[in-house]
Amino acid sequence: MTRVLPLLALLLALAVNALAEPVASPIPIGVAVATTSNVALFGEEQVNGAKIAEAVLNAKGGVNGTPFKILYQDTAGDEAGAINAFQSLITAKVVGIVGPTLTQQAFAADPIADRAKVPVIGPSNTAKGIAQIGPYVGRVSAPMTDVAPNSLKYVLSVDPKIKKVAVMFAQNDAFCTSETGIFQEAIKNLGLETVTIQKFQTTDTDFTTQVTAVLGAGADMVVISGLAADGGNLVKQLRQLGYQGPIVGGNGFNSTNMLPVCGPLCEGILVAQAYSAQADNAVNKLFVEKYQEAYKKMPPQFAAQAYAAVQVVVEALAKVEKDSGKKITAMELAEVRELLNKNLQNATFLTPMGEIALDADGEVHQKTFFVSQIKMNPDGKTGAYVIVNK
Amino acid sequence: MEEFVARYGFLFVAVVQQALLGLSLYFPLMAGQLSLASIGFYALGGYVAAVMGTHPALAPLRDALGFMIYPVQWLAALALSVALGVALGYPALRLRGIYLALATIAFVQVVGVAALNMPVTGGAVGIFGIPQPFESRLAYIWFFGPLLLLTLALIHRLERSGAGRLFFSIREDELAARAMGVDVTFRKVQAFVTGCALAGVTGAMSAPFLNTWNVRQGTFDAAVACLAYVLIGGSRSKWGALLGAALLVSLPEILRPLKDSRMILNGVVLVLACVYMPRGIAGLLSGRDK
Repeated sequence: MTRVLPLLALLLALAVNALAEPVASPIPIGVAVATTSNVALFGEEQVNGAKIAEAVLNAKGGVNGTPFKILYQDTAGDEAGAINAFQSLITAKVVGIVGPTLTQQAFAADPIADRAKVPVIGPSNTAKGIAQIGPYVGRVSAPMTDVAPNSLKYVLSVDPKIKKVAVMFAQNDAFCTSETGIFQEAIKNLGLETVTIQKFQTTDTDFTTQVTAVLGAGADMVVISGLAADGGNLVKQLRQLGYQGPIVGGNGFNSTNMLPVCGPLCEGILVAQAYSAQADNAVNKLFVEKYQEAYKKMPPQFAAQAYAAVQVVVEALAKVEKDSGKKITAMELAEVRELLNKNLQNATFLTPMGEIALDADGEVHQKTFFVSQIKMNPDGKTGAYVIVNK
Repeated sequence: MEEFVARYGFLFVAVVQQALLGLSLYFPLMAGQLSLASIGFYALGGYVAAVMGTHPALAPLRDALGFMIYPVQWLAALALSVALGVALGYPALRLRGIYLALATIAFVQVVGVAALNMPVTGGAVGIFGIPQPFESRLAYIWFFGPLLLLTLALIHRLERSGAGRLFFSIREDELAARAMGVDVTFRKVQAFVTGCALAGVTGAMSAPFLNTWNVRQGTFDAAVACLAYVLIGGSRSKWGALLGAALLVSLPEILRPLKDSRMILNGVVLVLACVYMPRGIAGLLSGRDK
């Protein structure tokens, strides 16, 4: 160990002088999402979306004629995994990184990229504070503060008599606890009364206590932040025990995995969405067509946002070329990373989610949000999310 | 070389960090106690450092101390771990074997539930934006490296001193040790609290290293991973935890170029290790029958 420490110090000193290096061709773009662990379901959808983006955008000529290539790295579901994946991509000389899957992973890994001056675009990090991690961090996933309240507003527009609201959320899930905070604030801002707040765990299967409390409080509307399995079971028990009013779900309900869980009782749940496969714009139509061709199903939100993240990076690279008059592959890597980051900010993009704009902070501003209602098919296991706010 | 350092710097430090957690299990194991509480103290230490590093009320303290805030965080984590370790150790160490493991894992769950419910720990989202003492991940070796050397030196010393031999006597036969006049409970608690203290300080060092701290750092899965370091590495040698952590932490990363098949190969290596090295890597290396 006594010989190792001076050696380490020497290595540290060496690591500081980064040499000027050119950008490889095809232009490498990193995608670091979870393809193993318990969040792999989301990560796989993101990889699918990124693959479609690679095929579609390269077919259109890539970055002004230069093709790009996506390097995938698995972050797994934990913080250390995300840091390792980012580190691998940075040393693989990518111009920018799309990822990671979870907000908590972003808090761990994004500062690493920020310090290395590599632009990061979060495809699915929706909590507060992501874009504020540093100047090189941005996202295409609209924060929950923008998305979640839309469904409440829709319910009120249909039924203005609603006054009493019950809030339920999965206490052990980071996403659900932040989301419920936003719902609760929105409920207050809309002048409604929160009659009860019930907590549950994502691992729970029996919700009798919580449902009884909601029924006892006489709520006119129930707002739930949960994930597919627990949320599905909770809805089922709410309906079985006699709750008749509207149910508003958070983003966790935005997954067809929930439908088999509550079956026919899923009917009528309202969900606010940042993306809908039915969105009416040319970019989305092409994306849906290619996605269905490749995977034989409608693209979920995670895939659309990953597509958008890759698209945003590619379009910003094209703008770097246009502004500087030089080919990306003729420029130095550090310079490209810096210019790419500049062009990612204060820019507008037409993506499958419609028009989005990234501000000087890297924070996304999305023009349209969707409120969808679940319509179950007669088989009681499958269904569709139908846009209701258009 | 530069690229190698950039890519594997984090990993190298992560191995040392996880080895420290493994060693924190080795202390109670020296006295024959299978405790899984370490990860709870690790989580606790991390929260101490994260709260001290980010809480607005402590901003004047941070400004006044500068870099010295980090050693202060370690000391705070150490003090809290020792106090809680003693409080937990005396009742829990009356239990033996699997029951002690259960009681200690219950403690880990309690820490998790408390962290979920206390506003100061940020609930399920946890605490983020923890200030960084170093620019490079590899530089964190200046935190974990000396702690590892110190721990190894302490174990080395213990193994040759009276206290250490008392631990071993309890490990080999608790009844015989008691009959010989060893204060079994006191020694067990001593070994246990040393492990808790090490885990707490490791946690306090890890919070800035990971940039963020949340409930998922101290789960049952993490506790089992720690136990695996000691078991795969060898539970009867201080090098076991080190070798086990080195293998288990670095394997998935070294296999990264294999893409999707890496987790399968990772599993295969672990199964082979269990089947062919019942006494762990350290046992295999020493080659002695003991």
